[in-house]
Amino acid sequence: MRLIDYIKDHLFIIIFTFISYLMILMVLIALKTSLYGIFLITAIIIIIPVSILSFDYYRKKTFYKELLLNVSRLDEAYLVLEMLEKPQFYEGEMIYDALYDINKSMVENVKREKDKLKDYRDYIEMWIHEVKLPLASLILSISNQNYDNQKLRLQIKRLEDSIDRVLYYVRSDNAENDYLIKKVSLSKVIKDVIVKNMDDLLINQIKLQVMNTDFEIYTDSKWLEFIINQIISNSIKYRKGNDSYIKIDATKRNDVIELMIEDNGIGIENSEIRQVFDKTFTGSNGRGNHASTGMGLYIVKNLIQKLGHKIRIESEVMKYTRVIISFSINDHFLRY
Amino acid sequence: MKIMIVEDDCSIAEELKGLLLHNGYEVLILRDFKNSLNEIVTNNPDLVLLDINIPDINGEVLLKNLREVSSIPVIMVTSSNSEIDEALSISYGADDFITKPYNPTILLLRISAVLRRTLSSSHLLKYGDLIINTHKGTIRHHDEEMILTKNEMIILTSLINHANRIVTRDELMTELWNSEEYINDNALTVNISRLRSKLKDFGYEDLITTRKGQGYILS
Repeated sequence: MRLIDYIKDHLFIIIFTFISYLMILMVLIALKTSLYGIFLITAIIIIIPVSILSFDYYRKKTFYKELLLNVSRLDEAYLVLEMLEKPQFYEGEMIYDALYDINKSMVENVKREKDKLKDYRDYIEMWIHEVKLPLASLILSISNQNYDNQKLRLQIKRLEDSIDRVLYYVRSDNAENDYLIKKVSLSKVIKDVIVKNMDDLLINQIKLQVMNTDFEIYTDSKWLEFIINQIISNSIKYRKGNDSYIKIDATKRNDVIELMIEDNGIGIENSEIRQVFDKTFTGSNGRGNHASTGMGLYIVKNLIQKLGHKIRIESEVMKYTRVIISFSINDHFLRY
Repeated sequence: MKIMIVEDDCSIAEELKGLLLHNGYEVLILRDFKNSLNEIVTNNPDLVLLDINIPDINGEVLLKNLREVSSIPVIMVTSSNSEIDEALSISYGADDFITKPYNPTILLLRISAVLRRTLSSSHLLKYGDLIINTHKGTIRHHDEEMILTKNEMIILTSLINHANRIVTRDELMTELWNSEEYINDNALTVNISRLRSKLKDFGYEDLITTRKGQGYILS
């Protein structure tokens, strides 16, 4: 609040006082008051309103300045009331109380929505556990029948992957952190994912080269399993006819372990490579023959960010796609 | 070996029973969830497959109570795919943790691994006159000893462990891949014929019989 604005706002009072003064002056002249008396009264008439206005200006300025400054400085502007002292003038009190009520109703509203979202999420998680039961039963049942069941298992794997994507979508958008970081053997996670994809890899005659992945990393193994499964599923899905391979390797430089998963599939257009992690982005590959929802890598990116790792993709069309995930020993410490 | 299934989904419990029976285990299914702990203790199984979501009591709590009175090996089974549940189960004393839906072959491998660990069974396998030393990776017939490759070892032990039934190529493949030997169909065939020719040197020419379209069985 600048002084000039304040004066403009109170121009009415100032003009009115000035007119009153002129009238009093005329009365004083008419009454033939001495010059000394006129001077004294003039002084009183100036000093009183000026000091009233100055005092008023000062206390309003303190409050409004604090208010505006905090609003602009706070990341969450709605918390501004926590930073302010209740003002000592009526107008300010009114604003303060109104802000308080507005804030309260907003918080209640947000809380309601959050509760609704949580109920929704809880139900989805529950439903996912529910739907996995018949799936588990089905897999056992197929295995108890003694015939070639590779094709059936492949379809079940597709179902399972889809269900997992929903689960991890819900988890990755979750404000609460329901993951657990601990020391994990990278090669074991990779092995578990590969065994899961065995049927798909064998049927499509994809050659698998797993080099040295014997490293210990700090992560949530279940989340990482989902991430690697997503990447390998993509490599299988976007393979290129014959002689397909998937190469998995890891290296360690200083405190950083880099996991590389490379395939010789159809690759990604240069212009599209930066968008592959965007929600619902499908690109020319997805729009082609492959059913794609554009959610897989988006979820992967979210999970990676939450875990504090890094991911990047390099590719050349019809040559290769290379996904590199880097784990730093201090990943999760650095985040806080 | 007696395995107890604690699982409230009847169809899973029945299918699981079928799988385990087929693999030579004795199977008990817990029916009375109100007295879960008592049921387990009185039946005294060699291993418990324990679901986390069961009626009346949470599987993790049941495990905790069980651990106060017994050290029966327990494998936790759950449809909740969460590291937190796993860490909790292990800290309560579970021997392993597996999530639904699981690959049946992998489940069997985990079961036999836990049993082997807790019973500290020997690393020597016998079949007829053959003695297989899994630690040294060798096979012995009287005084003769021969070295088997890792793949051949996995195949032979799997066949011996399931000597009373057909072992499918699928199962062999899963066991190999689970040991990080990512071989393809042709390589499996090659491995089996190499193993056959090694066994032939010991006079066990027709030990491994092919059942067309089904798998292999020891004769």
